[in-house]
Amino acid sequence: MYQSDSEGWASSKDLRSHLGHLESELRFLSTLTGISIRNYSMKTEDLTNTEKKEKSIMKVLQRHRLSGNCRMITFQLEFQILEIQNKESLSSVITDLNIIMEPTEYSELSEFVSRAEERRDLLMFFRSLHFFVEWCEYRKRTFEHFKERSGPARRGVTSLQPVVCRDWEAETKRLHSRDRSQDQCTKEKYPAAVHLPEGAASSCMAVQSTCQPGFELVIVWRVQIDEEGKVLPKLDLLPKAPQQALKLDRNRVLETAPLSFRALLGTLGIEAALESLIKSLCTAGYD
Amino acid sequence: MEWANDGKSRGGVLAHLERLEIQVNRSRKNLEDLQRAQAIESALGTKIHKLRCLRDELRAEAKQRQARVKASTVNVEPDQTPEISEQEIAKRRKENVKAILQAYRFTGLSGKLTSRGVCVCISTAFEGNLLDSYFIDLVIQKPLRIHHHSIPVFIPLEEISAKYLQTNIQHFLFCLCEYLNAYAGRKYQADRLQSDFAAFLVGPLRRNSLCNLLSFTYKVEPRGQSFPFCARLLYKDLTTALPTDVTVTYQGTDALSSSWEEQRASHENLFFSKPLHQVFTSFARKGEKLDMSLVS
Repeated sequence: MYQSDSEGWASSKDLRSHLGHLESELRFLSTLTGISIRNYSMKTEDLTNTEKKEKSIMKVLQRHRLSGNCRMITFQLEFQILEIQNKESLSSVITDLNIIMEPTEYSELSEFVSRAEERRDLLMFFRSLHFFVEWCEYRKRTFEHFKERSGPARRGVTSLQPVVCRDWEAETKRLHSRDRSQDQCTKEKYPAAVHLPEGAASSCMAVQSTCQPGFELVIVWRVQIDEEGKVLPKLDLLPKAPQQALKLDRNRVLETAPLSFRALLGTLGIEAALESLIKSLCTAGYD
Repeated sequence: MEWANDGKSRGGVLAHLERLEIQVNRSRKNLEDLQRAQAIESALGTKIHKLRCLRDELRAEAKQRQARVKASTVNVEPDQTPEISEQEIAKRRKENVKAILQAYRFTGLSGKLTSRGVCVCISTAFEGNLLDSYFIDLVIQKPLRIHHHSIPVFIPLEEISAKYLQTNIQHFLFCLCEYLNAYAGRKYQADRLQSDFAAFLVGPLRRNSLCNLLSFTYKVEPRGQSFPFCARLLYKDLTTALPTDVTVTYQGTDALSSSWEEQRASHENLFFSKPLHQVFTSFARKGEKLDMSLVS
């Protein structure tokens, strides 16, 4: 204990240091999980009646309110948990779940949110939210990376090689072991115009050859959440070419482009596939 | 009839009658007076009672108001020093932070700082039912390592930590969360099948500790004439609580009639798409419907 003149001062210092410790624990937890809870409150209601008391069954209804954010997405939750304690065991069941999320631009999320509410699966909500946000951030970084490294074209256009990746496990591994330093070293610029039609958090990237502006590749990258809460990226290629080119395309490269894209994604993974796609659009050489 | 030769008595009878009449009138008047007085008395009595009740109510209200005023003045003591109010703020903030730390368990991941690093608690749930939680004690050093944990041995912890522990601890934890929640979900379904739908099972439910391989023989109606089907459920993907492979077969030598074959095929689909105990709940409901139709 502190030696002090007034008891008030000593306990206040204790309190402050304890509070400091708790707050640093909170900051740590928030960084560790990627989820930041800003506010929380709970009310309990005892539903035990005399009949239940005789059988030593206790029923308590808890009403919880929680709000916070996971990177750019903020959430507000209200849920109820019914706790029933009898002689053998304690059971806790979520009996109601209401979720409000912002921003609402991520249309893939609204369906997921209603599913989570229906199933009252609070934990799945947070788990999938985390993976969803991770994938969105990776998408943003990847698109930005290609945008930064694109510039004026030197030559014309060549064949398109579309790819789609289903092996998200391998992609995730690459996602997490990516060596950032590689980005800074390469000063090479792609001679193509890359733009993100929907802005920074765009779900698609348009690549246009600056020599042959009639040719454009649009890569659509959606982050989907399936019925079980699994988060998977889904990429598709939409090639655009002038009518004349379509007529000349005897090998039907443009038609088979989307399918070939899927194959390429499977082999190279997302980043390498996109890179090869952009490069192929800009490589010199006419027929 | 001889009247008394009495002047007094002759006048006396009439006078007597008169006297009697007066008497009756007087007594009647007395009675009326008495009754009136009684009525007034009871009315007054009721009034007194009402007034007493009112007085008690007002007294109680006055007391309450006094207490309220006292309570509010206590919070606004004029001689409060600034330090005490700061303390109050800090106290409240502390309670708030404590509550938020507790609330992290609803995200699936919560934890406590330790002298070595952090002890993370992973909570599991299935369809709103909160289930077991597991802990993993991490030592924050280079390299990061696991001090000890309560993760069951059949969860591929080494594999997951080899992939992600050193490079992305968040992903490591959420991945582990996925595996544990899927296991908890599978276990919950198997437990419920064994406990709630034992009547439908013919023989024991065979399961492994990871609960990703289940095999059992069942009947659609517990005491009916239906054929027993053999089901084998395999959950290859350890991060899901629904099977990846389902085979429902008929145990018997005769060929199945087309209706039974239909049923067999539909059961296979059911096992693929719905949790195990929900499939059996639907069997039970169908059975009830059948019973009702027999009754009516």
